[in-house]
Amino acid sequence: MSLRKTQFMAGLIGLVCTLSAASAFAADILTFKLEMQDGKFLPARIEVPAGQRIKIEIHNIGKTAAEFESVELRKEKVLAPGAQSFVVIAPLRPGEYKFFDDFHLNMPQGVIVAK
Amino acid sequence: MGQVLFIVWRESVEALLVVGILYAWLNNGDAAARRGLPYLWGGVAAGIVAAVALGAALLGFSELLSGDAQTYFQIGMVLIAAVLIVQMVFWMRKHGRTLKKDMESSLKESTEAGNWWGVFLLVALAIAREGSETAVFLYGIGMGEQDASRGALVFAGVLGLALAFLTFYLLQLGGKVFSWRRFFQVTEIILLLLAAGLLLTGVEKLLDLLLESSDWFSSLGFVSALTAPVWDTSWLLDDSSTFGSLVSTLTGYRARPALMSVAIYVIYWLVVSSALGKLKKPQVNNKQVA
Repeated sequence: MSLRKTQFMAGLIGLVCTLSAASAFAADILTFKLEMQDGKFLPARIEVPAGQRIKIEIHNIGKTAAEFESVELRKEKVLAPGAQSFVVIAPLRPGEYKFFDDFHLNMPQGVIVAK
Repeated sequence: MGQVLFIVWRESVEALLVVGILYAWLNNGDAAARRGLPYLWGGVAAGIVAAVALGAALLGFSELLSGDAQTYFQIGMVLIAAVLIVQMVFWMRKHGRTLKKDMESSLKESTEAGNWWGVFLLVALAIAREGSETAVFLYGIGMGEQDASRGALVFAGVLGLALAFLTFYLLQLGGKVFSWRRFFQVTEIILLLLAAGLLLTGVEKLLDLLLESSDWFSSLGFVSALTAPVWDTSWLLDDSSTFGSLVSTLTGYRARPALMSVAIYVIYWLVVSSALGKLKKPQVNNKQVA
């Protein structure tokens, strides 16, 4: 009984630590800006450090809706014209990760390069 | 313009597959199965309303839906949809054989109401999910382009919808041209593949949420093993390409799947196929008795 209680408390403390760590990191997370303009990415190549959580702030400055999508990064974000949003990306292995505008498929894709 | 047409078709094809297959199943069934049709159409109506509302929310309150809210919502929708599809396939397996044959046997079953609400929810979710994106996309077209090309683009959008309905019609035709048995086998696999893709997407996003919110979690040894890509088939079919991403939505294909994704995909098919195999046996016995 007491063992179970101790385990429960330990679990709870672990959870609280995790959550507080998460909120602490949310504050000083490395952030990159990306503008989407009717299928164009500004910039089309984003270099990020590997093994570190990053945040990409996306701003749709175009006149048409956009959908930021990356199959490899499992992200999809619909943005109305003028809308702003962000995606947080889990620590990446070194490599290249493609992303594209799912509403403008004939435009060149963008790439996130993790080093 | 061809692009607009393709996007509208692609966004609606997933929902249309679900609605079209369920419709064919219920419509080709007996009187009891047809009682599910009002729930199906109810689900379609609810789905369209939800899609427009969601689309409006994406347009009007994009700050509200920015960041994680959209992700939580997507995870919830895809996982529920995956469960409902599998449940529906199992229900049809149990009842499909008898659907065309004995009329009265299933009439008495009162437990069906639960299944019908499942149909309602599944259809509504499928339409709401994809429809909301189509709504935003079409809104963007309506607002964005110059007047000269707007007409052409709206036309392309309508054509895309027409193409989607043609897909629906072809499905219904398939139910008539091929034997019921063959049609059922094929559509069953289509739905199970779709559910596999949805399950994979949902679980991957859940894991990502954990990875994004906790350094402690992402630094664990077994976690980095789980997220490491097992192989790379992007030379064969790149899932970031137009066709590849469509295949990825409809089947759960990944060009560089993480170990966890492979494991979940394999476990899913093992569980589903063994459970379906078990379902068959009592029916064979029934047949022999009858």
